[in-house]
Parts: sequence; C-alpha cells; structure tokens
Amino acid sequence: MLTPMFQKLITTGVACLVLVSLVAGCTSKKKDPPNTVHLSISAKLKGLDPVNADDMYSGIQSSHAYEGLLQYHYLKRPYVLTPNLAESMPEVSADGKTLTIKIKKGVLFQDDPCFKATGGKGREFEASDIVYSWKRLADPKLTSSGWWVFDGKIVGLNEWHDESAKAGTSDYAKPVEGLKILDRYTLQVKLTQRSAQILYALAMPFTFVVPHEGPEMYGQEYINHAVGTGAFKLQEYDPNSKVVWVRNPTYRKELFPSEGEAKDKESGLLEDAGKPLPLTDKLVYQILVESQPAWLSFLAGKLDLSPIPKDNYSQAIGSNKQLNPELAAKGIKFAKEPQLDITHTSFNMTDPLVGKNKLLRQALSIGYDDVQYIETFYNGQALAAQGPIPPGITGYDLAFKNSYRVYDVAKAKDLLAKAGFPEGKGLPPLEYITLADSTSRQSTEYMQKMMSAIGVQLKVSTYSWPEFQASVKNKKGQMWSFAWGADYPDAENFLQLFYGKNGSPGPNDSNYLNPEFDKLYEKALLLQDSPERTAIYQQMVKIVVEDCPWIFGSHRLNMALTYPWLKNFKYHEFDHAKAKYYRVDPLLKK
Amino acid sequence: MSTAIAAKGKSLWSDAWIRLKRDRYAMLSLAIVIFYSILAIATKLEWVASPWDRVVGGAYAPPSFDKIELWGGTDIFGRSVLYKVIQGTRIAMSVGLVSSLISVPIGVTFGAIAGYFGGWVDDVVVWFYTTLSSIPSFMLLIAITYALGKGLTSIYIALSVVAWVGLARVIRGEFIKHKTRDYVVAAESLGASHFSKIFKHIFPNVSHFVIINLSMQFMSAIKAEVILSFLGLGVQGQPSWGVMIDDAKLELARGVWWQLAGATIAMFFVVLAFNILGDALRDALDPKIK
Amino acid sequence: MFVYIARRLLHAIPTIFGIALIIFVLFNLVGGDPTLQMLGKHANAKQITELRHEYGFDQPMYVQFFEYLKQILTFDFGRSYATKQPITQMIMNGIGPSLTLAIPAFFFTTVLSVSIGLLVAYYRGRWIDRLMVIMCVFGMSLSSLAYILFGQYFLAYKLGWFPIAGFETEWPDRFAYVAMPIIIWVVLSLGHDVRFYRTALLEEINQDYVRTARAKGLGESKVLFVHVLKNGMVPILTNVVIEIPMLILGSFLLEGFFGIPGLGGMTLDAIHNSDFPVIKAMTTVEALLYIFGNLATDVLYSLVDPRVSLK
Repeated sequence: MLTPMFQKLITTGVACLVLVSLVAGCTSKKKDPPNTVHLSISAKLKGLDPVNADDMYSGIQSSHAYEGLLQYHYLKRPYVLTPNLAESMPEVSADGKTLTIKIKKGVLFQDDPCFKATGGKGREFEASDIVYSWKRLADPKLTSSGWWVFDGKIVGLNEWHDESAKAGTSDYAKPVEGLKILDRYTLQVKLTQRSAQILYALAMPFTFVVPHEGPEMYGQEYINHAVGTGAFKLQEYDPNSKVVWVRNPTYRKELFPSEGEAKDKESGLLEDAGKPLPLTDKLVYQILVESQPAWLSFLAGKLDLSPIPKDNYSQAIGSNKQLNPELAAKGIKFAKEPQLDITHTSFNMTDPLVGKNKLLRQALSIGYDDVQYIETFYNGQALAAQGPIPPGITGYDLAFKNSYRVYDVAKAKDLLAKAGFPEGKGLPPLEYITLADSTSRQSTEYMQKMMSAIGVQLKVSTYSWPEFQASVKNKKGQMWSFAWGADYPDAENFLQLFYGKNGSPGPNDSNYLNPEFDKLYEKALLLQDSPERTAIYQQMVKIVVEDCPWIFGSHRLNMALTYPWLKNFKYHEFDHAKAKYYRVDPLLKK
Repeated sequence: MSTAIAAKGKSLWSDAWIRLKRDRYAMLSLAIVIFYSILAIATKLEWVASPWDRVVGGAYAPPSFDKIELWGGTDIFGRSVLYKVIQGTRIAMSVGLVSSLISVPIGVTFGAIAGYFGGWVDDVVVWFYTTLSSIPSFMLLIAITYALGKGLTSIYIALSVVAWVGLARVIRGEFIKHKTRDYVVAAESLGASHFSKIFKHIFPNVSHFVIINLSMQFMSAIKAEVILSFLGLGVQGQPSWGVMIDDAKLELARGVWWQLAGATIAMFFVVLAFNILGDALRDALDPKIK
Repeated sequence: MFVYIARRLLHAIPTIFGIALIIFVLFNLVGGDPTLQMLGKHANAKQITELRHEYGFDQPMYVQFFEYLKQILTFDFGRSYATKQPITQMIMNGIGPSLTLAIPAFFFTTVLSVSIGLLVAYYRGRWIDRLMVIMCVFGMSLSSLAYILFGQYFLAYKLGWFPIAGFETEWPDRFAYVAMPIIIWVVLSLGHDVRFYRTALLEEINQDYVRTARAKGLGESKVLFVHVLKNGMVPILTNVVIEIPMLILGSFLLEGFFGIPGLGGMTLDAIHNSDFPVIKAMTTVEALLYIFGNLATDVLYSLVDPRVSLK
C-alpha cells in the first residue's frame, strides 16, 4: 500500500523520536552531597534583596543569606523572639521610646568579590551596617515594599526619606537622629512613640542586614546576588527555575536549640540539640509553579517535603483523615498545623449602598455558608472564622461565636427584608471583583450561588492580580475576597485592617471607619501584652463583628508531608531561615 | 448584460451545490454544523439545558445513565456537565457567528476598495493590514482583551480584529484580477458608478471566497475562545468549553476527567465538521483546484 | 539582490512604525497601573505618587511614545514591573531554554507532517485521507493539558523514562529534561501542520507538470518527491519561515508544567501579572521577527523558485 519511500521517511521520523528518548536516558548526574535537602517553591522569585522580600517565597530565599537582629525561636510555641545578630534582647527605656541594641562581635559577612578592600574576604559586621540597611528601606529609589515597618516610627527617618525623594538622590552619609551608633557594636534606636510591635520588625526579612559594598558594586543587579551573614551562600540562582545554596564556610557558631515544646522531645526534634548550624551542606530549591509536577516529584522521592495540593488531597489522605496506606508504607509523615491567617470577603464601606446599610451586610454574611465552602475548597481542612483574630494569637477567643456567621437562609432573607430589599427586590446586582485564575473563578461561582439563594444577584468583574489590587485600592466595586497572613504574631496585625487611618490604599481595604474602634486601637498600640490589652482587643473584635465590614471566611491549616529521612521539620509561620535546622539522614534515604 | 452576469453567478453556486451534494462527508459535516446551530439557538431560547446552574447531584459525580442530566457527570458544585457542554455550544457558535458578522463586512469593504481603486488607497489599506498581521495574533488578542476588559464582547471584537485581515487580503487579490475583466469594463462604459461596479458587478463573482473563509473563521474563532478562556481572559460566569477545560486542570489530578472529555468531544465534532466542510466548499467553489 | 533587500527593508519602516503605534495605544493608554502591585499590601498614597514619577507615568503621552520608540531602536525595554530584572536580559536568558525545546520539536514536526501531508495528498479522498483528517482534528481538539498530565504521570512518574520536571543548563542533562516536552509538542502540532501541508501539496499534485511527469512513465514516488515536493517548497517554506519567529515564544503550557525557564513561561507570567513592559517587549520583538522572517521568505522564494522574479 505505502510506497517504499514513504515507509522510509516515516521510519526515519519515528527513529528520530526514539533517538530523542534514548538521549534523554543518558545523563551525567552531578553528585550532590548525601545530606542535601531538596525542596520546591511554587512561584517564580522576585529577587533576593531583603528590602523587597514582600512575598513569602522571596522572604524565605533571602533569609538563607541575610539575618536580622532578632529571630523567632524555632521550636517554642507560642512564637517567641530570641536574639540573632543581636547579642541579647534590646534594652527598652522606661518610656518605651529608646531601644539600645548590642550586636554580636566577630560576625563575618560572606566572602564576595564586592569586598574589594580585603580581596573578596567578608569583613566584620558592625552597628553601622544596620543603619545603612534600614536607610535602604526608607530609600525612595528602591521603592521598598517593606517601608511600612518603619514608616513614621523612627525619629528622623521619614525626614531622611522625604529629603531623598525631593533631592532625587539618597545621601546615606547624612545622619538620622533616631539611629545613633554608640560604638562599633552598639546601636541606639529612638522611636517616635512607644510601640509594642517594633521588636517584631527586627525579625522580618525587610530589616535584615546588608553590607553597603554589595549594592554599591552590583547596583540594580543586586537583586540577583546575596551577600549577608547568613548560614547559606548562594551557589546558583535562576529566578524561574532553580536556586542552590551551600553551607557558608565562615558562618559564626550558632547552635540548634536545646529546648522546645513538651511534645518536641518525643517527636525527636531535640535530637540535634546543641549541634552547630546549618545541619545540611546544600539546599536545592526547584521552582515548580504547577502543582502536578511538584506533587509527582515528591512522590518519586525527588523532594523531601511537600504540601498537599488541594486537588490531590483525597489521594493523600483517606476518608478516615489518616495518611493513605501507600504513602504511610514509604514512612512519609503527615503534619497539620493551623496557619495564622484569615480569608474574608470585604464590603466597600465607601459605597453608598453596601457601605451605608448594615442590615444588608449582615444579611449577606448570614447567607454565606462557610462550612460547605471549607468542605469544597479546603477538603474540610480549615476553621470557620468568627472574627479577625486567628487561633494561636493572644486575643483569640475560642468561646466567641459571631451571630452573623451562622448560616441561615431564612434569617438572611429576613434581614434582607429589614434592610429594605424583601426577596432582593429593589437591590441592584452587587459588583463583585475577583481574579482570573481557576480557583478564584470557582469560588466566585460559589459566592454567586450562595447570594442568589437569598435573592441577591452579583455582577462579576474579573481582573489580573495587579488590576484587582488597583481597583480595590481605588475603592471600586462593592465586594471582593482576600486573605491576610500574619506579619508577626500580634492581634494588632489583624486589627489594623480596620483602623481608619489605614484606609485605601493602605491595608484597611474595606475602608471601615468607626471612631470608637480607632480610639481603642490607638490605646492598645501603646500597651505591652497584658490582660488589659487582650480585653481591649476582644472589645474591638465585637465592634467589628457587629458592623460587619467583612464576611469572615476561614483560618486555614497548613498540611505538610515529609519523608522519614528529612529530620527536624516543624511548621513555622515566621522563621524563613528554618532550612538551617533541617537535616537529611543519608542512611534512611537509599 | 446584467442577466448574463446573474446567470454566471447562479451557475457557479448551483454547480457547487451539486458537487457538494455528491460528497457524503461534506453533507454529513453540513448536517453536524446545522445541528450545532439549532442546538445553540434552542439553548439561547432556553428550550434545552436550562437552567444549567441547577444542582443535579453530588460534587464530581461520575457519568451515569440514571438521568439525562447525569450522562456527563457533575462538576465541583454538582451541576450537570452535559448541560454545561450544551451551553458551551451556544457560546462557541455565537463567537463564530458574531465575529464573522463583524469581520466579513470590514474585510470585504477594505479588500474591495483597496483592490478596486489601487494607488494610495491600496497602499494605506495594505500598510494597515500588514501592520496588524505582523503582530502575533495571540498577543493581539491578549492586548485587546486587556484594553476592553474581559468578557464575551471583548472576545467578539478581538477575534474580528484578527480575522478581517485574511479575508481582506484574498478579496483585494481577486478584485485586482477582476477589475480589468471585460464585464467590468463593459459596465463602466454603460456608466455604472464605482459603488455599483464594486458591489453589484465584481463582488458576486468573488463572494464564494467569503463562504470558504467563513468556515475557516468559525473554526479558528471557536478554538481561540477556548484558549482565551483557558488563560482566564475569556468568558466570565458562563459555561464555555474553554472554562471547562481550564477547570480540568484542577480536576484531572483527582481523576475527574468528564468535564475535559465533554468539552473536547463537543469541540472535536464541530471543528471536524467545519474542517471537512471548508475543504469541500473550497473544492466545490474554487475552480482553480480541480 | 542587495538592492532588493535594501528596498524591502526600507518598506518595512512604515510597518514597524505602525506596529509601534498600535502596541503603544493598546498597552500605554489602557495598561493597568503597576505601582500598587510593586508596593505590596501596605502601600500608601505618597509612595504611589513617588513611584509613578519614578517610572514616568506622569509624563505626557507623546513623550512616553518617543521613549518607547527609543526602546525599540536601542533594544532596551527597561525593567519588568514584576521581577525588576532588565527585560532585554530576561529575553536573552529565556531564548536558550525555549529554543532547546522548540527547535528539535519544530524540526521533527515539520519532517513528519510534510511526509504525512504528502501521503494524504496523494491518497486524496480515500479512506487513509479521511482517517488522517479525523486523527488530525482529534489531535487539535484534545486539550494539550491532557497530553501533558498523561505524559507526566505515566511516562515520567510511573515508568520513569523521563525526569518529571525541571531544567539543567549543562548539555546532555538539558536534553533529558526537554525530551518529553518535545514529544508532546510534536504530537500536539502534527494535526494543524498535516492539514496545512496537505492543502499546499494538493495544489501542486493537480498541476499539469505532474500529469506530464506521470505520462512520461516516471515512478509514483519519484513524481511525488522530486516534482511535487520541489514545487511545493514555496508554501512549505512560507509556513516554516513564518512559524520560526513564533518558536521563541515557546509553549506556555509545556514550559509551565515542565519547569523550563523559557520565554513562553515568561510571557504567561507577564500576562498574569499585567506586567505590561514585558508583554509589550515580547509583542514588539515577535512582530519585528515576523517582518524579517517575511523578508527572508521572499529572498528564499527567489532562490527556490526561479519563476518569482525580484521586482
């Protein structure tokens, strides 16, 4: 049937494809050291410069090379701060407005060609480096997404920022009153007012210490370099594909903690107590944006640690909420921890309709079934939120029940009628703003379904992430859904989302404004953690819940699977440098 | 004179129809296209598959033959996949139809005046469509959907902007060929205006290119809609095939294949039909290939 | 010849200007405001104004347009909003991985589809032709996602023939990572290309010279390969040259799912992030490549087909 020439041609074609597969088979595998930790990241990276470590992924990567004055204790819960580059916890003056910070002596920056004076050898870290790094945060040219941590809080720093913006160049030599170097190893920080949260800022990647030689040598390219005092040194960096870190040979003596929670001892988390960090020689991060390749790589043993993708949940966890037998047979461990976050649907409080009609907002809140949402979208692995404060943070009240978060169609319809729209009559379709990705589209459909059940129609506008942000910050639209993750373990970080002065484009995206709430907020700001402050926090929660500027969503759970050879894994919300505690047992990994 | 032209036109069409009728595959394809069109209209009038957003079973119920709604299984909210596929037909056909309705007049007009008048008019039109077609159509589609906001209207317009170029190019070429033919020269000597020459005399003789182009355009419009919706730039709040395939990205991992299968099969038959029909039309109408 | 090329280049200038104008209108007049995204969740109004000034968004439109023309001429498209990397650098970094995937895939696709196209053109109207049409359309209808997920699950994970995902810059390793995407690419694009080449070759098969050749008693395969293929080279070349610029775009999905750091993935990210400078740069580069690709086709035509004269 086929002429011989055709046969030949097609055979050649097929042979070529076979050849491709054969070549694929032969590889020159580079040898990684046996205790290499293999991890994955689900987003492309935006650079390693700490001043722009805005998203979690960039924060984690820059925390391998850079360090802050403080850090979180790896094992203790609730989360507690311990010194890192600081010699001890900062000394706070009686009026709470002056911090005196002594730093560790003999800490070296990593070797890098930018240290020209010493021929590439890293020099010693000193107090002036902190001042330099914090001025970078305030440098208008760098447009740091972390400027808010110091904005308006340190005496003279805002003036420095404004002058730099006006002059068009930033003069780092110009002193700032609130950042005074007392000696080579001591820094004095003057605050504009007493602040209970300032110490948390010192453990956030934004404030991590950068030597001035780095940015001076690399300029704008500094985002692709990492020169700090951290436990790991950058070996390979491709923001779209792979990041490789190796042990920093000049890292100071830092030990694995020897105390933790009660359960840590029996779960073996204290076995490495007192050993020098980092425990691993090499860290390999693979960037896998899609969840299927990441999940399959984990199952094939190429990754040591993996979250459970939403759509693989039923494969991984059986109906009895236990790990499925196939995975359990491999010795894989399953850890489930609450995340310090909240999902919510905001109402635009500046909108003449939803912003001014409290009954309407309450009706919509009651008419939204979160339990079914959690079942459909989180496989039941989340906690329906009653207020803004997640469990695990002081101020969370387990007993508190939000009466507008009990799903009840009849009551919702009743409230809707009281709001002036019986059966939804007379209510124009509400403009709901959402994102274009698949999951957002599905949850939008869910929201539409819920609302139409009580007679409310939605007009959906779909945007990309920047467009979405722009429209929220410009107070367009009437409703939108968001999530907020804690920046630090203090309820203030959640309550500030309702503070009047934080209105758009600030983090108070619904532009909620209640003078009574604001007064309490300002009062609590000046207080240290105490029963008095907790009482104020709970009072604020009650006010917000009644006014209903949000439909409160859920607090999610973090679910992680680890292979038995990965030691010392413990979920930590804030410690981005936690990989320095990880260790791979080569005997268990064959 | 004019009767002669009419006779010529008629014989082209009736000849083509006879040829087409002889081709069984082409007739079958035509039947499929007609079936999809009827289905689309019936859906639009809410005669079938309505309401599509009603819950008919549990979440992700596999296909079963208990009830007609469950033939294609259900989606994440327990809605009928079969109904969604049928609703998707409406969107796919409307995208093809509306984008053709916009792009055909534009393409014909620009192609005709460029080919007929020549000179600087031709230069400008050619410059314009060369420029447009130099931008990769995919990027142009994305840019336009950004500019106009997301949704069905933007898809209609974006596809039309991309589609008229091909037609204009063909029509222009044909007009250049035809404008010097005897019958046009004769019409001119009888005092026919430019308008009448373009639309009364030449156009009927090249109109079959519009038909050939149309079947191709329907096909590419349907496929483009799927891609745009898949990228999150397309249809919002309505069940299109692209959106269903996008859903499959999340669902396949948990073994839910029926949304993907439903949308793919529906798309397969209509694209296949337009393909075969397009080939057959070309064979029947274009005497060049024989 | 030289004069011809020079004249064609000169003709390209108004087109390039037109392209610049369209792209500018589409992206600058309607493009979203990136400042909010860049400043993150704690942004304030003062910072936004400062950043808008920094990026020149407060300049009049014509100034911004000239700025864009300058970018095209100097091939320096500034920095991405999302990644803050220089865009030219991003494109340079992405070309390698994209082409590693695209060139072999394109080569195999073209060889296979021209031969199949020839086959079905020859057996036009018979069952083998019909079957091929059905298979091609089926291939075109089935979502690429299905191939990718299937390939990744069975061939890579279950059978272990290929790595699951990832990329290596070193050479033999690099090939291992693109092997499966290449195969999927070939399977995916076969449908469209076979259809195209079938039509193109059909036009040739019905020409008089083919009949003459047959009448002379030449073997069927000789007629096909020597005569038809040679004359069919013009449409084949056109298609090949026009597709080549598209190759650097890579494949959005393949690159995304297999973790290949190419331009396809970069463009897709840019679309998701409304990263207009990157989308703008990619569109411009693509359009320029298309124009030069067309020019190259015309020159090649004259070499392949002496009937085309250089006017």
